Amino acid sequence: MIFKCRNCGGNTVYSPEKGRMYCPHCESTDSEEKIGDSSLTQCVNCGAPLQITDFTSACRCEHCGNYLIFDERVENAFEPKLILPFRIGKEGAVAAMEKEFSRRLFAPADFLSAKSLEKMEGIYVPFWLYDYGAFYDFAGEGTRIRTWRSGDTEYTETSYFEVIRQMDVNFDRIPVDASIAMDDRIMDLMEPYDYRALADFEPQYMSGFFGEVYNQPAQQLEGRAQEKARQASEEMLQSSLTEYATVRPYRKNLKLNSEGFCYALMPVWQYAYRYKDQSYLYHVNGQTGKVIGVTPVSRGKVLAYSASVFAAVTALCYMAVHVLEIL
Amino acid sequence: MREYFRYFKWLYIVLAVGALLTVVLHAGHWTMAKTMNYQRTNTECATDERVFDKADVLSDKEEEKLRKLIAKREKQTGCDIVLVTLNEPLEEYARAIEPGVISEEYVRVYAEQSWEKMGFGFDVPDGDGVMLVDNWSREDDGRIHTWLCTTGRARDAYYVEDIDHLLDNVYRYVEDDPYRAYKTYVNDFYHDMMGWNVSHLSVPGFVPWLIGIIASVIFAAVNWRSKEGKKTTTATTYVEGRKPVFRTSHDRFLRKTVTRRKIQTSSSGGSGGGSHGGGGGHHGGGGHSR
Repeated sequence: MIFKCRNCGGNTVYSPEKGRMYCPHCESTDSEEKIGDSSLTQCVNCGAPLQITDFTSACRCEHCGNYLIFDERVENAFEPKLILPFRIGKEGAVAAMEKEFSRRLFAPADFLSAKSLEKMEGIYVPFWLYDYGAFYDFAGEGTRIRTWRSGDTEYTETSYFEVIRQMDVNFDRIPVDASIAMDDRIMDLMEPYDYRALADFEPQYMSGFFGEVYNQPAQQLEGRAQEKARQASEEMLQSSLTEYATVRPYRKNLKLNSEGFCYALMPVWQYAYRYKDQSYLYHVNGQTGKVIGVTPVSRGKVLAYSASVFAAVTALCYMAVHVLEIL
Repeated sequence: MREYFRYFKWLYIVLAVGALLTVVLHAGHWTMAKTMNYQRTNTECATDERVFDKADVLSDKEEEKLRKLIAKREKQTGCDIVLVTLNEPLEEYARAIEPGVISEEYVRVYAEQSWEKMGFGFDVPDGDGVMLVDNWSREDDGRIHTWLCTTGRARDAYYVEDIDHLLDNVYRYVEDDPYRAYKTYVNDFYHDMMGWNVSHLSVPGFVPWLIGIIASVIFAAVNWRSKEGKKTTTATTYVEGRKPVFRTSHDRFLRKTVTRRKIQTSSSGGSGGGSHGGGGGHHGGGGHSR
């Protein structure tokens, strides 16, 4: 499918800044009209051949520049239940990166320039969101230690306690990305998303962006969600035991009960830069603006800044020594 | 470049303030030193010499430089400043005067006798002044002894810890560079009499460089961030109500044990050993050995 403007016939897209459909040609809003069924091999607008992957659900035609959404990959079994619409546009993503990289002192000043930009895509990444009810049953022996001195003797008092914790945890929508192309580690770092902005899926949200259908079924990826739930449960348990110096467990059972899952699309900006013959890939959370990516290091900057610190600190030390010697 | 100056703005401001403070203090120090011009009133002193290098550890040129420095410092402090180096056992000499004297204080006896015999003292004989006697000869106890003898205003100004500090500074250099050690004696005495350097700070020259190197390495390491990004989720991010519900949270006291340990107190000893006091009643001072 393709969304066209009723007023000018241009391709309408979802505007993150405006939070509604927008025609960049005539600047109309909410003037979209859904056109036709799209094939996976041909652009529904210009008929040009398309080269897409097995999982592409939305793309941009390289010939006419219109954004296409493939019906058969957003319907029936592939229809997402929820979508988190982009809230940050292209400029916002670049601003977020500039802000983040300005804190990285040794990053070269010019590496975010337009000439080094290779790729810039807004992508809806497929995620499975898992719900779990967890019950953690823990019993152990904890110690509290108190030390004091009397004369030339040091006393150490160790108190032993029986510690029992039974806790229920309701995990709500633990996200796991279902895209092989996306690095799991990076997708985990992109979290968290603000779920309050989740909306029922509407294909309009995808117009203007790239998208993927889930690459793996929910059952296949459930292990990652369970691992996240286990780690979080363990951390919560440990934070309830902080008053003890040591805890020796003698019973530890965590039961996770699956309470369902749903398929959702999450917004991610992907930027690729080429700087001094090396590629750098950055991801920006399309909702929160969180930036993930490694920046190059400018040796000149390292040298100049470190030398400045060295000179300044040495000079300050000399001054301090001088002043203290005089006073 | 703009980014550089923006980043280091505060560092440069602190540096400028520090430089200004240092300059102001130096100017004050210099002005005060210039205005100090005591006139010697002791006309009975048997000699004008202040450097008696009997151990011959100084070159003629070094002796001359010390004489000039001492002449300047005497006018600024109003005290006679005398340096004596020896290379002879003093046991016989000292025991002839004070039969029960211990080996550490042979030099004291020598210093006090010399001071009185020569009539040193800036204002009157046996008046304000200081004498360092460094005997390079090892006594029977196998050690080299040094004594700082103070009289008059110098005795009033010098406490035990001040003497220790001055002699520590002398001993820091004396084996490798006697001239530097004795120059330190003269300058430290001047600083102490002027009431400066109450902190007794004496930092080796390499320390500021070392701190600078460490600071720049830490700075580079901290900012050399190749990390992709920070994890910003917590254990409760995906938990309903943002916290777990505890069915049971039970802590029951079982038992208690107490262990005790004797604290070992280490007795401290000075690096070169030291003795304090004075035999002549109006003399003060203290000694170190190496």
